[in-house]
Amino acid sequence: MAPAKLAALPHVDSRIYTDQTIFDEELEKIWRRTWLLAAHESELPRPLDFRTTSIAGQPVALVRGEDGKVRAFSNVCPHRGSILLREPAGSLSHPKAASAPNRITCMFHAWQFSAQGECLAIPRRQAGYQDRLACSDVSLHSLHCEVAYGGFVWVHLDEDAPPIADHFGHAFDSILPHLEAEPLEVFHHHKAIAATNYKLWHDTNSELYHDYMHHFNRVTGMQQPGYFDRRYSVFAGGHITVSSMVVEYEAYGRDQVALAESRDLSFPGLERNGWKLLDLFPGISINLRGSALRVDTLTPIGPNRVLIEYRGLGLQRDTAEERARRVQDHNTIWGPFGRNLPEDLIGVTNQGLAMRPGSEVRRVLHGRFEGNSIHDEVGMRHYYEEWSRRVGRSARAPYANGAWVT
Amino acid sequence: MSKDFSSPLTRAELRAAIEDVVYTGCAHLDDQRFGAWLETTAPEFRYAIKAYSPDIRREMTWLDHDRKALAAMIDLLPKHHLDGAQWLRQAVVGPIVVDADDSVRAVSSLAIFHTVVDVGDAHLEGGSSRLFAVGRYYDRLHFAGGHWRLFERTAKLDTRQLGAGSHLIV
Repeated sequence: MAPAKLAALPHVDSRIYTDQTIFDEELEKIWRRTWLLAAHESELPRPLDFRTTSIAGQPVALVRGEDGKVRAFSNVCPHRGSILLREPAGSLSHPKAASAPNRITCMFHAWQFSAQGECLAIPRRQAGYQDRLACSDVSLHSLHCEVAYGGFVWVHLDEDAPPIADHFGHAFDSILPHLEAEPLEVFHHHKAIAATNYKLWHDTNSELYHDYMHHFNRVTGMQQPGYFDRRYSVFAGGHITVSSMVVEYEAYGRDQVALAESRDLSFPGLERNGWKLLDLFPGISINLRGSALRVDTLTPIGPNRVLIEYRGLGLQRDTAEERARRVQDHNTIWGPFGRNLPEDLIGVTNQGLAMRPGSEVRRVLHGRFEGNSIHDEVGMRHYYEEWSRRVGRSARAPYANGAWVT
Repeated sequence: MSKDFSSPLTRAELRAAIEDVVYTGCAHLDDQRFGAWLETTAPEFRYAIKAYSPDIRREMTWLDHDRKALAAMIDLLPKHHLDGAQWLRQAVVGPIVVDADDSVRAVSSLAIFHTVVDVGDAHLEGGSSRLFAVGRYYDRLHFAGGHWRLFERTAKLDTRQLGAGSHLIV
C-alpha cells in the first residue's frame, strides 16, 4: 500500500505508546482523574477486612469499617510517609507484631488509626509534640470510594471527582442486569506484568479482529452464524460495549466435548453461553461469557510496562459443584494456563517490542469500518477520541510540530 | 502385586521407583514428549495446577483435567501460538508416604526454568534463561501391572506472576 493511502486511514502515532512525557501526562490527566475499579467487595467481605492496591503510583488501602462501609484511603502514614498496610489483603482484627487489634498501625512509629481513618494514638504524643499536635489534627487521607455496578469498589483520586454515574453514563445498561441480580464473588485473581503500553492491552480488548490469533475463535467462533452480527456501541467518556452472541461450544468438536457438556451454567438473565463485553475508559474490561465473569484492570507502570490484573467471578450462592464449573469454564480459556490468554499477552508484548523507543515511528491503524460489527475498529477510534480530549494531544498527531517522517 | 515396604532395602527401592516416575516425567515434559509422559499416568489420572492467592485469600484452581481432557488439550497444542521456549524442570522428591502396598503419596519441590527462543526479543534475549515458576508437585501414585504410575498430580505453584503464562502444563 502506498504511504499516502496508509496515512489516509484512521491511525494513531506509535509514540503515544512510548513517550515518557506523554505517559506522565496520562497519569496526571487520566489516571489520577477518573473512576477506577480497585477490587470487588467480596475481597473484603467482613468488617475490618482490608485490601491494598495502587493507582498512578499512589498507594491505596480499601478498608471495610466496623459499620460495614468500604472506604478508601491513601495507604501512607501522615507522620513520616511510610506504607501502613503491607499485605495485599487481610483483617485488622488479626494484628501482627506490635499492631493494635482492630486498628491500622504504622509499623514504623506505631501511630494508630481506626478503620474509618481517624487517628487514635500517637505514642508519647504529649512528650514530643506538647500541645502543638493532637490526634484530632491527624487522619488518613480519605479518597472518593463507591461500591457500585455489581459490587465493585471504585476509587477516584481527585478531590473534585464527578459522580460515578456521570462518568459511566449508560455504558453499563446492557450488562448491569446480569451483574446486579445477585451478589457476586471473586474466585480467581492473577497478575501479569507485560512489556507493553497499557493502551495496547485495552486496544486488544476493544477489537475482536484479533480472533484470528486464537484457534477456537478462528475455527469455530468466526464460523458461527451470528458472529458477524455482533455490534459495538459507543458511549460518552470512551466506553464501549459489544452486543451478545451465543457461543456454540459444541462446535469445538471432540476435543472440547467435556467442556461443552458442562457449559449449562450461566449468569442471571443471561442466555446459556451468552457473551457480553464492556470496555471502560481508560483500562477496565468486563467480559461476561456463559458461566464466568472476567474483569481486567490495568496499572500503568511506564510507557512500556503495565501490570494487568485478571479477576474471575461467580455468584456468591454457588454450590461447590457450580463454582468448580465456573472456575473450569473461566480458566480453560482465560487462566494463566488457558487457551487464549497467553496468546493475547504474547501479541501485545510483540507490539511493545516493535514500538520500543528507538524503533521507527509508525502509524498504528484503526481503519476497519464494517458498520460497527465485530471486526470494525470503532472501539479503538472511540477510545482515542476520549484520550485526545483528556490528554490535550491528538493521538494521530501528538506533537505540535510533529510532521510525519515517511 | 504386593510389596513389603517395611524393610530399609525395600523402602530404598520404593523411593528409587517413585523418583524414577517423577524425574522421567520431568524429562518427558521438558522435551514435550507428552504422549510418553501420559504413559506414566494411570487411566484414572487427574491433573491440576493450583495456587493460593493472598490477594483474594483463596486457593485457586488454574487447570483441572482428567486424562482424557488432558490428552485432548495436548492434541490441540500445535493449533496454538506457543511460546517456543526450552523448558527445564528441576524436581526433588521429598517425603513419600505409604498409604497402602500399592498406593503412595510423594511431595516434590519444583523449579521450572524457561530459556527464551521466540517470546521477547529473540535478538537480544534469545538464549537467556529465567526462572518461570517454583512450587511443589503433590503426587499420588498407584502400583499396577508391575509399574508405579501417577494417579493424581496437583502442581501447587508459589509463583503467581507467570508473564504470558503458558499453553503447556507444568
